[in-house]
Amino acid sequence: MDIFLQQLINGLTIGSLYALVALGYTMVYGVMKLINFAHGDLVAFSAYVGLTIFTQFFGASAVSFVNVIIIFLLTAIIIAFVGVLLERLAYRPLRTAPRLSAVVSALGAALVIQNGIMLIWGPNMQIFPSDILPSTTWNISGVIMTFTQVCILVLSAVLMIALYFFINKTKIGTAIRATAIDQDAAKLMGINVNRIIMIIFVVGSMLGAIGGLFIGIYYRSLTFDMGWVYGLNAFIAAIIGGIGSIPGAMIGGLLLGLFNALIAGYISTQWAETLTFVLLIIILIVRPTGILGEKTAEKV
Amino acid sequence: MNKTTLIATIFILVMAVFPFTVDSAWLSIGITFLVFATVAFSQDIILGRAGVFNMGHAIFFGIGAYTTAILNVHFGLEIIATIPFAIIFPVIVAVVLAGPIIHLRGDYLLVATIGFNIIFEQVLSNDLFGLTGGPNGIFGIDVVRIFGYELFSDKAIYYMAFGLLLITLLIIRNLDNSRYGRALYYINKDEIAAKSMGINIPYYKLFAFALGAAIAGVAGSIFAIQYSAVSPESFSFMQSVMFFAIVLVGGSASLPGVIIGTFVMFVLPELFTEFKESRYLIFGAAMVLTMVLRPNGVWPATFGNIPKYLKEKALKVKPKGETK
Repeated sequence: MDIFLQQLINGLTIGSLYALVALGYTMVYGVMKLINFAHGDLVAFSAYVGLTIFTQFFGASAVSFVNVIIIFLLTAIIIAFVGVLLERLAYRPLRTAPRLSAVVSALGAALVIQNGIMLIWGPNMQIFPSDILPSTTWNISGVIMTFTQVCILVLSAVLMIALYFFINKTKIGTAIRATAIDQDAAKLMGINVNRIIMIIFVVGSMLGAIGGLFIGIYYRSLTFDMGWVYGLNAFIAAIIGGIGSIPGAMIGGLLLGLFNALIAGYISTQWAETLTFVLLIIILIVRPTGILGEKTAEKV
Repeated sequence: MNKTTLIATIFILVMAVFPFTVDSAWLSIGITFLVFATVAFSQDIILGRAGVFNMGHAIFFGIGAYTTAILNVHFGLEIIATIPFAIIFPVIVAVVLAGPIIHLRGDYLLVATIGFNIIFEQVLSNDLFGLTGGPNGIFGIDVVRIFGYELFSDKAIYYMAFGLLLITLLIIRNLDNSRYGRALYYINKDEIAAKSMGINIPYYKLFAFALGAAIAGVAGSIFAIQYSAVSPESFSFMQSVMFFAIVLVGGSASLPGVIIGTFVMFVLPELFTEFKESRYLIFGAAMVLTMVLRPNGVWPATFGNIPKYLKEKALKVKPKGETK
């Protein structure tokens, strides 16, 4: 039972991280119908940027609450800027082009970011310092919970609730939903589609940046090609929940995290990734639109 | 003789005499080029002609290579005898894997094939049934023997790869002129219209998958012969991305496009080893730039994949009341 509870906590932690990253995929897909393959690498990039900000500016000094917030904000702003740049350079010129051209462009952008990381920080593994967040742990009747885990769970929950209200209750959120349904109609209603897409990339990249920094703090080792792994997992989460649906990405992320943790706890870590992809394919065969995805009629 | 035929003839002649004009380093680059061009053409049948979003093509290439390696090393079969299996196994796998997912919409199909490729990679490096040799792969593949005569030189392997490329080009040419090729063309152009015309879409898409897999399988076999070893990283998801990109960057359903794509992705890095570090960065940037400037690829097919003379022939035939 203790193993189960422990894996539940671990799974929910990883799941929240997947959900944060998955939101970036799902929002871009919802509005632009494009798989943003570069998003995972952007997340990896954010971990490296966060690490550099930390070691360059806060290295020796004791890390305070304010400093941590500054690191997170700075990273999120930088990554949001990169995300917008990515959209401008690689996706905007291809909005009317054939679907696959945009996919190739996204893959190209992913390669650029991934290998840019390798050229800047080197091909070797980088280690995240352990003293960014306090290393307090709680032992609740045999189940160990770290301060980092609590931070991840609480902050991602807060962010997701905030995003939910942003999308559903604000004027910009309404415009985003309208653009997702029909870009041309949204344009006719006076919505600036370019600005909406920019907002999507800013929000998605910021959430991804927070996810990436937490991935760095939680796992502590960074490799330049880690973006593929987390990106693909987050992407699977988005598909499980129903790509294009924001609550779907959150549920998908949590479910995938739990699935991963339980497989690792009870079956084997060696085959965990394989089973994740088997799950993906089964879901695609049985219900391609995911849990919360709606069936869309093919446009003729 | 029109321009296309002329270019094709010159290309084939140059490739035929190439081994006699270069040293061994260039010869092995030549083999690499031929093998990867063949795989790219087979991907073009699936992606460019049938329009099926397949991002797991390295699976079929890998199954071909591993079939040859396993049958030769573990079961002592002659290389030549393994080649039929290197055709059949990829075809079986293609039909079994693609069958349940072939009805998926483009993006979902793309993701499913990525999933298959990653599962394939994991199966290889987790040493399934003790046959695949784990992360290091399989070493010590035998040389090719025909009637006891050993074909071990690079020149012999070059001509094997060259022969395969010619056969592939012939198959593609025949495909374009056939009922199957036209069905694929219409499915690619407008799936719903094709469906309402009575074209059995899953059947033709699976056919394209099977044909592409068969050709990629043989190419994999030659790849295994060239290096006399196979390992999982040659058939990774990244490799599939490369094949996917070659077809779309070069220009789908276009023979010169695929050749250019292969040259840029696999031959240029061999020539400029000094930028090996930043090679993928440059490729990534080139992929984005090409797509932005030429969304249909560098050298797109100008007339779908139905050659002009065939259309003219069809027009001439029709008035006589003959239907094909």
